[in-house]
Amino acid sequence: MKVLVPVKRVIDYNVKVRVKADGSGVDLANVKMSMNPFDEIAVEEAIRLKEAGKVEEIVLVSIGVKQAQETIRTGLAMGADRGILVVAAEDVQQDIEPLAVAKILAKVVEEEQPGLVIMGKQAIDNDMNATGQMLAALMGWAQATFASKLDVDGDSATVTREVDGGLQTIRVNLPAVVTADLRLNEPRYASLPNIMKAKKKPIDEKTPADYGVDVSPRLEVVKTTEPPVRKAGEIVGSVDELVTKLKDAGVI
Amino acid sequence: MDFEITHEQRMLVETVRGFIKDELAPLEQEIEETGQLPDEIARSIFEKSRALGLYGMNIPEEFGGGGLSALETMMVEEQFGHTTDILIRRAFGNVYEVLLSCEGPQVERWLLPSVRGDRVCSIAFTEPGAGSDAAGIRTRAERKGDKWVLNGMKHYISDGAFADFFVVTAVTDPAKGHRGISMFLLDKGTPGFNIGRDQPMMGLRGTSHLDLHFDDVELTDENLLGTEGEGLKLALSVLGRVRLAQVAARSIGKATKVLQMTLDYARERVQFGQPIGEFQMVQQMLADSAMEISAARSALWQCAWEIDAGLDPRARISVLKVQGSETLGRVVDRAVQIFGGMGYSKDLPIERYYRDARIYRIFDGASEIHRGVIAKSLLKGGAQLFDPWGA
Repeated sequence: MKVLVPVKRVIDYNVKVRVKADGSGVDLANVKMSMNPFDEIAVEEAIRLKEAGKVEEIVLVSIGVKQAQETIRTGLAMGADRGILVVAAEDVQQDIEPLAVAKILAKVVEEEQPGLVIMGKQAIDNDMNATGQMLAALMGWAQATFASKLDVDGDSATVTREVDGGLQTIRVNLPAVVTADLRLNEPRYASLPNIMKAKKKPIDEKTPADYGVDVSPRLEVVKTTEPPVRKAGEIVGSVDELVTKLKDAGVI
Repeated sequence: MDFEITHEQRMLVETVRGFIKDELAPLEQEIEETGQLPDEIARSIFEKSRALGLYGMNIPEEFGGGGLSALETMMVEEQFGHTTDILIRRAFGNVYEVLLSCEGPQVERWLLPSVRGDRVCSIAFTEPGAGSDAAGIRTRAERKGDKWVLNGMKHYISDGAFADFFVVTAVTDPAKGHRGISMFLLDKGTPGFNIGRDQPMMGLRGTSHLDLHFDDVELTDENLLGTEGEGLKLALSVLGRVRLAQVAARSIGKATKVLQMTLDYARERVQFGQPIGEFQMVQQMLADSAMEISAARSALWQCAWEIDAGLDPRARISVLKVQGSETLGRVVDRAVQIFGGMGYSKDLPIERYYRDARIYRIFDGASEIHRGVIAKSLLKGGAQLFDPWGA
């Protein structure tokens, strides 16, 4: 079986995000970029399936600016086999919206015929949490979102999902789209030999036009603001004092 | 001139950084308190690191190493500086490049097992009467028939307790001065070779520093590393890169880590109603540290580039030995000052960095020795050190 793993280049989770002065978005120039952490979990899961002998090939696909090639190389260094880079933007500030991404992915899926698509449940930059669901809908495939456990067995998969109030276990027929949640696994480090090998793994370069998809934005960003600054706390001497203060603040 | 860090280099550094943060940093405090890294934990971090290809990265691929360039070696060595000496030794190996001089049966016996991590090597040059003055050693190896007989002692030999074998310098021809010194590979357990006491040190907790005693130790020609009488020449030709890596790059990495912690503290610590980072006298210390680290790293990369270009930047390595270690000294001293009482307290690792930093200005040739090397190079016409346009 072949597995397709879409990976997104996003602002690194350690970076202190700064809003651009004109409020049009977050400043991404000269900022450290990395693979979306949920996508890293998806890549790791695919590699584990390959190590378990259930998967023969892992194909990564990234849609965005040319520099997303580095994101693919990172996944190749973890152990994926080859990559497809869809150059859909020139400006690092431009985000490709979920529906356009899902439409391109649907075309890639038609070409590659994977038995399974594993992807992050959402990207940490805009937190849309939509692309996996949209892809499943476009393909008419089963979907298993927010996966914290994945077992592939023949032509079906058993997936434990993290839902409000607990865990839900479902069985889906393959092919299917699985979106990875935080607790699915802990991604590995790329080993030195694999980093060197990744240089030689193939990456095909495409454009949205190759797939006949229009990526022009449908959403308009009206305003971007910093989150409110957290006010300093106060240390109280006793429970009584705490209760008094809470009453004064009108919260109890 | 291209200062771009390649994506491969970035991935490698991220793997090393992540490994240090997740696998090594959690062990530091206990080693500091007990002075010990238990064998089973040492084994475990070694195996994890080896599985990632992080052991012996400085050694060429043909001998089973990672095959990193000098520049890449400096990049990962800088990261090593974020953790402690003993953890670097166990996780990443101190596979000395002097072992690349192994020939014939020596390759299988000493070089390859060291790169695999099956055998651990330690360098034994220092004697009570010969520190920086490496030619002043008194350990003697005398030719007797087809054997060598070794007598004398070494001290402060790092990792002596753990090492399986040692690279030992000994006088083979007293009449020839520094041209009468040779290097030998000496296995632990060889009759007449005894391990003495462990010298407790100011810092570097967990690493042993032992006396070695040689009492009529019989060796063969197979134990002779390189050519007879060329021990010091060999040491000079290969130990420069080790010095750049283990002293300069690690110093710069340590200074970087310490400044990161200091910046966090300066942002968070509030006195007189504002974070102490808002006070100009604190700001001056932060700015000075950042400037010095940045300058030292640029110089380090230039020096590594010169090595990769096939040059022999001996005097520049001395510059970096002093620049790196003294930058670290100043940065960590300012850190203690900015952290104040917390910096002096054993509840935070700042005081440990302060103690560990001090040796960097001393070992592998004290600052004064290297300043001498630099000055001699300048006076002999080596203006390249400070004037790339030529005199």
